[in-house]
Amino acid sequence: MKPLEHDLAVGAAADGNTKLNVIDLHKSYGSHEVLKGVSLTARAGDVISIIGSSGSGKSTFLRCINLLEQPHSGTIAVTGETLKLVTDKRNGALKAEDPKQLARLRTKLAMVFQHFNLWAHMTVLENIIEAPIHVLGVPKDEAIARARKYLEKVGLKGVEDKYPSHMSGGQQQRVAIARALAMEPEVMLFDEPTSALDPELVGEVLRVMQDLAREGRTMVVVTHEMGFAREVSNHVIFLHQGRIEEQGHPKEVLAKPKSERLAQFLSGSLK
Amino acid sequence: MIDLNLIIERFPAFLGGTDGAPIMSTSDGLQLTLELLGLSLAFGLLLAVPMALMLVSRNKWVARPVWLYTYVFRGTPLLVQLFIIYYGLSQFDWVRDSWAWEYLREAYVCAILAFTLNTAAYTTEILAGQIRNTHYGEIEAAKAMGMGKWLMMRRIVIPSALRRALPAYSNEVVMMMQSTSIAGLVTLADLTGVARRVFSDTYMPFEPFLTVAGIYLVMTFALVWLFKKAEQRWLAYLAPRKH
Repeated sequence: MKPLEHDLAVGAAADGNTKLNVIDLHKSYGSHEVLKGVSLTARAGDVISIIGSSGSGKSTFLRCINLLEQPHSGTIAVTGETLKLVTDKRNGALKAEDPKQLARLRTKLAMVFQHFNLWAHMTVLENIIEAPIHVLGVPKDEAIARARKYLEKVGLKGVEDKYPSHMSGGQQQRVAIARALAMEPEVMLFDEPTSALDPELVGEVLRVMQDLAREGRTMVVVTHEMGFAREVSNHVIFLHQGRIEEQGHPKEVLAKPKSERLAQFLSGSLK
Repeated sequence: MIDLNLIIERFPAFLGGTDGAPIMSTSDGLQLTLELLGLSLAFGLLLAVPMALMLVSRNKWVARPVWLYTYVFRGTPLLVQLFIIYYGLSQFDWVRDSWAWEYLREAYVCAILAFTLNTAAYTTEILAGQIRNTHYGEIEAAKAMGMGKWLMMRRIVIPSALRRALPAYSNEVVMMMQSTSIAGLVTLADLTGVARRVFSDTYMPFEPFLTVAGIYLVMTFALVWLFKKAEQRWLAYLAPRKH
């Protein structure tokens, strides 16, 4: 059973301002339960950092939100619209009842991946205009204008015709962020966006993310960057073995951890 | 010794010339070889794209028939396939009575049919391999952007797989070009057919077959060059970074 206070917290937060509401998500691989009832509510302008050691389920949780992983139970609602889920006969997990609804909700949840996942055979510009044109139906010239605007926002110039493989990791990740922005999403999901980068390239990506947070974008960020969690986010969730061990404002949670496990985790990370 | 005069005298025949008529006055020789190659490659590729998608399907009722098809056509000699289609089909009354007989009794149509079905089998396997090799992250990105299965196939997976298939496909095209040389065995006067005709006219084997070997060699170079240009254009993203 879920703890009562947890229910109350979620219920209280879900109002017209709620961009993303995930309730009591469970996920198993075989007999191993990796998510044991995780909930999250993001209101407009929230920047939520999800931290935890590897294996805590934080990436799995994020990937369940847009159904890149199939949860086994739970509820996901984007801007008040609940994703209709049914049991998948192949594996007993949940899948979208209506693929069109899933596709529509996914366009509101742009994702930035650890390994960028740019389409290698497309140039930077083609990567960014692809989904706006073919998924959202934006006219081509408007999509190109959008792409240029967001490339400028992530601080990239003169790269439109380059291929991703000819760029540095930091540049590729910024292109991936521009690609996500071009969908003009309600919520941006970041899955360890700096973990695959060389240390000297981490800063340029974090600065872009910080700018986005300042603009009031709603972001859910799975990260190892304690500096980002502390300085940029307004809510931190610490996951441990598939459960939320502790959560709250970063100033509270990171400075004065109540749980012993979080204290241990924080002392293990240098920043 | 090689009779150079014979080579020079008979060379126009390989380019469709006849006694007293200029080259290209008939479609014999080079033109027929290029037609057989071009048409069977075009039809073969058109068949291969949907069949490759079927072959990678998780539904075994969709994948198995294509698997069987490529297994049979890659597991038997092209010459046998050609003979079965050209000589074998006419044994059946229902084939001879059907509308298709008007076409199937033509050696030209039979050769294109055999070559098409054969190259389609190999091309299907090449493409299916590259579709399976698609980077999983690129598929996840497409899903996360709200692309449906078919849009993702059409916009991301197939264009990417076709590009990565180019090097292997260029081998298939060169092999196919050389395989068209068996068309002469069902009465067609392709390049090799013309060489055999010159041989039977003159009883000189070396000169006509040396000539035709030279022409095939030039065509191979041309095809390899074309594919190199195509790879420079469509596989530029795999090339080392230029500064």
